Amino acid sequence: MAKIPLIIDCDPGHDDAIALMLAASASDLFDIKAVTTVGGAQSVDKTYYNARRVLAAIGLDVPVARGAAQPMVRKALGGTEIVHGQSGLDGPALPEPEGEPCPLTAFELLCQVLEEVEEPVTICPTGPMTNMGILLAVRPDLKKKIKQFSIMGGGFYMGNWTAAAEFNILADPEAAKILFDSGIPIIMSGLDVTHKAYVTREENEVLRQNGNRCSVLAAELIDYFSRYHYEVEKLPGCTLHDPCAVAYLLAPEIFSGKPCHVEIDVDGTYTLGKTVVDWFGHTGKEKNVLVLYDVNRPAFVKLLTEQLARLR
Amino acid sequence: MKKIPIIMDCDPGHDDALALLWALSEPEKLELRAVTIVAGNQTLEKTTRNALRVLTFAGANHVPVAMGADHPLMRPSIFEEGVTEMVHGQSGLDGPAMPDPGFAPVELSALQLLIKTIEESQEKITLVPTGPLTNIAALFLVRPDLKGKIERISLMGGGAYTGNWTPAAEYNIFVDPEAASIVFNSGVPIIMAGLDVTHQAYITREENEQLRQKGGRIAVFAAELIDFFSRYHYEVEKLPGCTIHDACAVAYLCHPEIFTGKQCHVDIELAGSLTAGTTVCDPVDYEGKEKNATVLYGVDREKFSELFIQAMSKLDQ
Repeated sequence: MAKIPLIIDCDPGHDDAIALMLAASASDLFDIKAVTTVGGAQSVDKTYYNARRVLAAIGLDVPVARGAAQPMVRKALGGTEIVHGQSGLDGPALPEPEGEPCPLTAFELLCQVLEEVEEPVTICPTGPMTNMGILLAVRPDLKKKIKQFSIMGGGFYMGNWTAAAEFNILADPEAAKILFDSGIPIIMSGLDVTHKAYVTREENEVLRQNGNRCSVLAAELIDYFSRYHYEVEKLPGCTLHDPCAVAYLLAPEIFSGKPCHVEIDVDGTYTLGKTVVDWFGHTGKEKNVLVLYDVNRPAFVKLLTEQLARLR
Repeated sequence: MKKIPIIMDCDPGHDDALALLWALSEPEKLELRAVTIVAGNQTLEKTTRNALRVLTFAGANHVPVAMGADHPLMRPSIFEEGVTEMVHGQSGLDGPAMPDPGFAPVELSALQLLIKTIEESQEKITLVPTGPLTNIAALFLVRPDLKGKIERISLMGGGAYTGNWTPAAEYNIFVDPEAASIVFNSGVPIIMAGLDVTHQAYITREENEQLRQKGGRIAVFAAELIDFFSRYHYEVEKLPGCTIHDACAVAYLCHPEIFTGKQCHVDIELAGSLTAGTTVCDPVDYEGKEKNATVLYGVDREKFSELFIQAMSKLDQ
């Protein structure tokens, strides 16, 4: 079977880091063409640095590029330290980046990869959608080279940054609107499903006991990241938001989704950045998004644990 | 148990009718002091006539009924465009045969009847709005001093997880979001029976047959209301039964133990082009704002259905 050509656009971020590991673990399935970074969970300088450190830990040699530092229209949200720490990836010790920095910007690297590929690429945006918004706005001719987006973002039943909005969408609602209105198929791993994709303390110990460097690193990332979930959000485990966007591509059968029309609110006072999901089809508009709403949690944890054991 | 004095503010509507009947069926728990009417499921003339017919049919001619707002506070009416007919029919209460009204509304407006009833009451009054919140907002605008005489508001409206008129907004809130905002920001405790819980409070076809087979005139009438109303739920909304939304606001007062809820801050969105009329609920408390509502999230459905059937057949005894 031909491998899935994949680009990961991220803002590591603990869950982005685990998403990168999960993608790297499936080298039999994915052909990772590039990793692009965006400001979000921290400044783009930090997320770029973090992405390169994570790839050094994994031993994955793919081009990594620095992307947008600011949202397309608005000011950056900030205030993410309580979730990801000062570095954006606090907790475990990580190696320094390896190799020379990529001379291209994220936009340039995205254009280069998309221009060169024969087969359309799947893109996993797991941070604010700014790089995607810029790409689609400036180079709409490259849409035909994008097969689908498997994103982490949004949520139907609630937000996680404001009451109505999830962080990645709220951080750049206009960029998200461009992506959602693009006509390219979208699989949305929003809070509806990611709040069900959690790892308990006991399960994290099982992951750690895999013993390989990357499993231990992931367990340590979860140790840090889960504090926010337990203490602030009162959730039953560490919610692995971003890995859902990758896990869906690996094992779609463990997820449940419903095709829906989804639009992004860009002018609400209380609902800015909300993914407005037409669950019951009231608008009769085109179903542009597969909204994931459930996951077989034990199977998700098993997949993660087994896949990460394959890394070094 | 001490009786809870209530005023129902409604726009019948099939589920409003069932809510009224349920309130009348539990006189040991609820004392229905007045019914005020608002335009919503149909025009004010029709919703008033429907309320009078239901109360006449149930032998409750003693309850004062007053006509209220015929349009939202600020926005144009949407119920005069015929858009709600697919849900409630031409009359707003299509389906079963009913007598003409056996009595007339009082000479007071809904606002005047609300003020009079609240002022005259020794105890604090509980308001049960099951339509757009225009009348209740008018009360708070005109007589904010009476807020202290209101125990709480048990309303049907909104929904955290979905809308039913637009993707984000539920009908009652969507019709008059400014009124809803006034009510939710009033400081009076609110119990919100929104779509999160009302979509779980459904009556299946089998259960409706059990209700019909009780045989009494009210039981058969209620079953026939459900026959008509459920067509929209099955055919358009693809729901697993007839969702008797408004009845939840009454059922909560009589049987709070079958519901689960969470104290939340709720804002009403007024501006969003896609989201006007959304009840923005914050159950995790991300925004740290004052908890102004108890949002109902769950109900023991089988118990709800059993209590509903019991309430309808009790009125026949």
